[in-house]
Amino acid sequence: MIDISELLDAIKSSPYREIVVAAPHTGRMSFAALETGMCVHGPQGQWKEMPGTTLGTLEREGNPKPICAPENGEICRIHKELDGGFVEAGAPLVVLRHMLTRDEVQRIILQKTLYLFRAPERAKYYFTPETDKKIRATDAHSVTIRDGMELFIMSRMKREVPLHYAGPDGVIYEIYFKYNENLDAGAPLIGVCPRDHLHVIQDMIARVQTEWTET
Amino acid sequence: MHNNIEKRLQNLRERLAYITDIFTGKHKDSVTLLEERLASFAGRALSGACESAYAELSGVEDIFAYVERRLEKTLTPMDRVRVVRHPQRVCLRDILENVYDNFTEVGGQDEHSLDPSMLIARAVITRRRGKKTYMQSVMVIGQEKGHGAEYRNGGSVKPWGNAKALQYMGVAETEGIPIHAYIFTPGSYPIEDYPGAAQQIARNIYNMAGLRVPVVAVISEGGSGGAEAIGLADRRLMLSHGYYSVISPEGAAAIEGRLKNGQRASPELIEHCAANLKIQAEDNLKFGYIDRIIQEPPLGARPWHFDFFRSLRQELIRATDEVVISTRKTPVLRGLALARHRNPENDIDHLYIRWGLSGGAKTRLVQRRQRKLLRLSRQAARDRRPFLTKTATAFWDWISKPWVVFKYDFYRKHQRWITTLMEEINNEIDMFKYRLLSPWRKFSRRLPNRTENKAKELTALSSWKEDSRSRRWDYLSPRYKADRTLTCPNSESYGCLDLWGPDLFAEFAGVCSHCGYHFPMEPEWYVRNVFDTGSTFEFNSEIEAGNPLDFPDFSERISQAKKKTGAKSGCMTFEARIDNIKMVVVMFMGTFRGGSVGAAEGYKFVEAAARAAKKRYPFLAYVHGTAGIRIQEGTHGLIQMPRCTVAVRRYIEAGGLYMVLYDTNSFAGPVASFLGCSPYQFAVRSSNIGFAGPGVIKETTGMDIPPKYHRSYRALSRGHIQGIWDRRQIRANLKQALLTIGGRNLYYR
Amino acid sequence: MSSAKTGNILHNHKILVANRGEIAMRIMRACGKLGIPFAAIHTAEDAASGHVLLARAKGGEKSLFRVSSYHDANELMSVADEAACTAVHPGYGFFAEDFRFARRVTKRDRKMIFIGPSWKIIRELGDKINTKRLARSLGVPTVPGSDRPIYDEMEAERIAKTIFEFQEQQGITHPLVLVKASAGGGGMGIEEVYDPDQFRSVYRRVRNYALRQFKDEGVLIEQRIMDFNHLEVQIVSDRTGSNPVHFGTRNCSIQSTGLQKRIEVAPGFTPQALRYSFDAQKVLDDIVAYSLKMARSVGYDNVGTWEWIVTRKGEPFLMEVNTRIQVENGVSARIAKIRGQGGVDLIAEQIRTGLGEPLGYRQDDIDFEGVGIEYRLIAEDPDSNFTPWVGRIERFDWKDAPWLTMLTHVPDKLPYEIPTEFDPNLALAIIHGKDIQEAKARGAAFLDSLSLTGQNDSGASLKSNAAFLKDNTERILLF
Repeated sequence: MIDISELLDAIKSSPYREIVVAAPHTGRMSFAALETGMCVHGPQGQWKEMPGTTLGTLEREGNPKPICAPENGEICRIHKELDGGFVEAGAPLVVLRHMLTRDEVQRIILQKTLYLFRAPERAKYYFTPETDKKIRATDAHSVTIRDGMELFIMSRMKREVPLHYAGPDGVIYEIYFKYNENLDAGAPLIGVCPRDHLHVIQDMIARVQTEWTET
Repeated sequence: MHNNIEKRLQNLRERLAYITDIFTGKHKDSVTLLEERLASFAGRALSGACESAYAELSGVEDIFAYVERRLEKTLTPMDRVRVVRHPQRVCLRDILENVYDNFTEVGGQDEHSLDPSMLIARAVITRRRGKKTYMQSVMVIGQEKGHGAEYRNGGSVKPWGNAKALQYMGVAETEGIPIHAYIFTPGSYPIEDYPGAAQQIARNIYNMAGLRVPVVAVISEGGSGGAEAIGLADRRLMLSHGYYSVISPEGAAAIEGRLKNGQRASPELIEHCAANLKIQAEDNLKFGYIDRIIQEPPLGARPWHFDFFRSLRQELIRATDEVVISTRKTPVLRGLALARHRNPENDIDHLYIRWGLSGGAKTRLVQRRQRKLLRLSRQAARDRRPFLTKTATAFWDWISKPWVVFKYDFYRKHQRWITTLMEEINNEIDMFKYRLLSPWRKFSRRLPNRTENKAKELTALSSWKEDSRSRRWDYLSPRYKADRTLTCPNSESYGCLDLWGPDLFAEFAGVCSHCGYHFPMEPEWYVRNVFDTGSTFEFNSEIEAGNPLDFPDFSERISQAKKKTGAKSGCMTFEARIDNIKMVVVMFMGTFRGGSVGAAEGYKFVEAAARAAKKRYPFLAYVHGTAGIRIQEGTHGLIQMPRCTVAVRRYIEAGGLYMVLYDTNSFAGPVASFLGCSPYQFAVRSSNIGFAGPGVIKETTGMDIPPKYHRSYRALSRGHIQGIWDRRQIRANLKQALLTIGGRNLYYR
Repeated sequence: MSSAKTGNILHNHKILVANRGEIAMRIMRACGKLGIPFAAIHTAEDAASGHVLLARAKGGEKSLFRVSSYHDANELMSVADEAACTAVHPGYGFFAEDFRFARRVTKRDRKMIFIGPSWKIIRELGDKINTKRLARSLGVPTVPGSDRPIYDEMEAERIAKTIFEFQEQQGITHPLVLVKASAGGGGMGIEEVYDPDQFRSVYRRVRNYALRQFKDEGVLIEQRIMDFNHLEVQIVSDRTGSNPVHFGTRNCSIQSTGLQKRIEVAPGFTPQALRYSFDAQKVLDDIVAYSLKMARSVGYDNVGTWEWIVTRKGEPFLMEVNTRIQVENGVSARIAKIRGQGGVDLIAEQIRTGLGEPLGYRQDDIDFEGVGIEYRLIAEDPDSNFTPWVGRIERFDWKDAPWLTMLTHVPDKLPYEIPTEFDPNLALAIIHGKDIQEAKARGAAFLDSLSLTGQNDSGASLKSNAAFLKDNTERILLF
């Protein structure tokens, strides 16, 4: 069993995460009137339907696109030298210092408690259509998986290969990959919780909820 | 102090509070006067200083009555709105107890009800003629505000409440008893949960348009769709202090002031809207949307105004009697009876008329109701057709009728019979030929030159006239000319790349090539690309949208819209063909003032439905977009809901095929009536369909609604629509739907 | 043709190399040869690829742009504008046969040249039904069957019956008919019928599938040809479109499962050295003549490949037209010489003519000499369905020879991590010999000298298809 208090203390000693907001594609960048040290907010609303603070606009082919803050945080650095100029895809634009939220702490701790099924190779991963449908219809928690079940599609080199789950039976508790994202070998794909462990996890969440105060 | 005095004092205190509430700070002097008089009398009465308490009390009461009469004259439209909404105003239960002789609630009791804001009761009216007493049953249906009781939800009925109302209208129809509908609603509760606000109201209106029992409606607070859900009646009475409006003054102010979520309109703007929407009883009587006003006591009826209930009872019985009498066949008897009833001298309680109707009378009743509605609001649209054209159209209508009857009712039947016979004969001949020639076929199969023929057939160029794949769009959105890219709204979740405008708006028909999201296109795109090239023929284009209420600044806005779109109204009616299947199409254009529906649009819709019925064509409503009823036309717009639904019902009952296709955003009144009542509703992908937008829902219910709440796929899951079509396949889908739903003869079932 | 004039035409241009890997390198080298500046692109994944190193070496850091994806046309346009490019070379794959991309390049506000055929030709020849009908209208042989979508069941049945009978008369013992959705592609909605009685049910299945998937119930009905050789004709033309020439034929019959080419040989047949059951020289002459005829009739104005199948009986049928430069163009160039110029670089020819220079020579000026073989070296496992292998390449050597040209994007400095996003192609080896025997022998010698090793994280060592290539070397050009 993991000592949650110890983990929490470790996180509390450095409760920040640096987020680098990079250009999603090429184009001309113009920054919003922001300065280092200012606070920005991430997506808001019950469904995160309202985008975060606009950090700037990236215009490509007559199509200006707002670049929004992905999370709450304080601006550590703005690459103002890029303002008005052409940026390459992936160029860092803004660096945010983000104070970990309760959910994120929870995720960190969960990653240490759940059984992690990892990517065997560098590739893109998708759920099989049946699983994907189930997850989209309800949520991941309701999907029970078994050892040897065909769970993923691994896509690399323009080929798609089915991937079988190996590990304890249980429910998918967390999903760690995004659509169309390249994962390195060994990166966790899903966190699985055996059914009889669910209460342990719930306790843990309860503790994080009480012990972690958001500022 | 005497108990009775205390009671009367309490009544006066309530009257004072009522006046304060209604005038919200206006007429301070009158209020202060009443306050002082009341306080001084109460103080003295309490200390026993009064010598003749009853006489003094009467004096105070007289002053109250005097002030009330004086203030009555100063009532502004917005004051009346406050009167109607006040918890002290009479509500349906008061009416049930005071107007009817006995009643049983059948739609639940208090909060133990499917929807406590909808009250349903079987009530009895007892009348005497000579020594005989007659018991007459009615079905009472109406919204119950319950003097502000929270569980009544202010008379805002949820979709299932309206469904319950419809169910009991059916019961009344089965039992053959009249319906008395009481409208006490600020509007319907705008949620899409089953059966869906818009859907249920549409269903109610459609059914009421053909209800085979007399319906009398009484309007106190007639708020938009909620009012129409039970308000389609043979006779509509209105309480003198009530309002009947397309939208609440606050809602109108929010639209007029272009307010975003959460912002509040200023009281002046609300007052301005209330004044200009013409929502009062006199206005509506003038327009013809109500038949009679029932006078209320000064400053509005409250539960202790027993005289009011008496006159209400008289008017109700009179109205019901009149409806029944008007269905009589013999004109002379009908006239006499009506005259007797209209004479105010006669005590209506002693004139007994049976409320049951014969089969023929029921048909006449429905016909009268439908024709009455169709006649309404024509004056509110500007018909710019020259007099000669109108006359010619009317004349042509008249002389072509016999031909149509001959063609469809006589010739078609026989034609079918002849075709069947000819087919059978042909079959026999073919069989005979086949037998006769079989020896020759056996022989010819062995001939050598057949090999060459085969090779030639399989390798040479075949003739192919119609290359349907190369059919390009006849109309391209002008946006295709700009060299720029656009971001698909789904790019976040589906990873769509930016689309190049010239591809998107021309070849792709505005559809994201990756995820299939549909960008909105112009109405012309559909007219030119869905129907056979050159087959469209517009009619009634001269009927113009106007400003029938003289709403301030609105005439300019209408002419701006006309200039921008080149159309005269938000509705275009035309005949068109798809692969030579003829049809009548009515198109609501989202580009003309949001596709809102006013008197002109309704006029054109009704005319188009009649044309389709006469020509025996299928009738398609293509809704490029509609924001609802045009609020600046007030009840002229609102009346289009029942009116157009009547037109649809008449068309469908004549055997027609009515289909609706939604695109972009379709909301509110039209969806909750003449569009939503179609049994065949389809939507173009990425469209939104619903009763009220997210802002209005938040405003009225306080609920945040999830994004995509109104998406067509949700509407499909909720059972609102029957299918979702890709824009590029509208033509093919429409043709298939026409052939499968309409059958070979398309029109006749 | 004056050299001053040609210099002028090419002088003012700058080319965006809109591709990666081996083809990007070939384009850059061709640009270097012609003295045209270029801009190159790469994704973050591909930062260590050979083409990035070459671009940096030849054009400097300023000619190199990092983009989010090679598949995003917007990125290419954005970079082209930034780098002030006047022309775009799509290479092969990605946007090479995308008429919309070509149209966008040529029709946008800041117009550029698309180095490839004009977009209308790409569109016309990109449609298989269109191509087939065009071929038939010119008397070019195509696979027996329908050349337009069939919508009527009776007609479909009649055509299928005729195809069965036709094959029987030709002495084919197991006649087969293909039913495919006309709007389909990529092998979707294709079914085989071997029994005429089953046709109706198969037809209905395909039709319903087509209606559901593509909203078009049209089907094509064709003879299924079982045993054939896959030949190609390399065409080059300039922007006038009136004087196309050919650079011979290629035989691409050695393929992996999934119809991926693995060995290409030029010329397509060698009647001088091998014996065929039909008049092979006539077949070669015919397909060249037919291809040129078609190219001339559409005004084909850049490089392209006419793909043919040749049955065991020596009947050629046009399959499709690839409106782009192909992977295997090098093997055709290897055996051709232009009188007065020497060796040929087809990519340079493509760029030169694409930018508007006239061809400058005629068919008579082109000589062919010897036989070329091209091997595709791919990190894949031929034993398990040619599954791609992912990992690091640790050693990649071979013995150089004057008859060998190696084209690879694997950099000299190893180890090299193979990017997972793309085809696992590692290299193309082009071998030349004076005749087929010598070419085969040299090919085998090359494969023997090759040493290619690698590892990946899961501990599996590199799989390569070299053994498969070696085994199949013996089979080439044999029916």
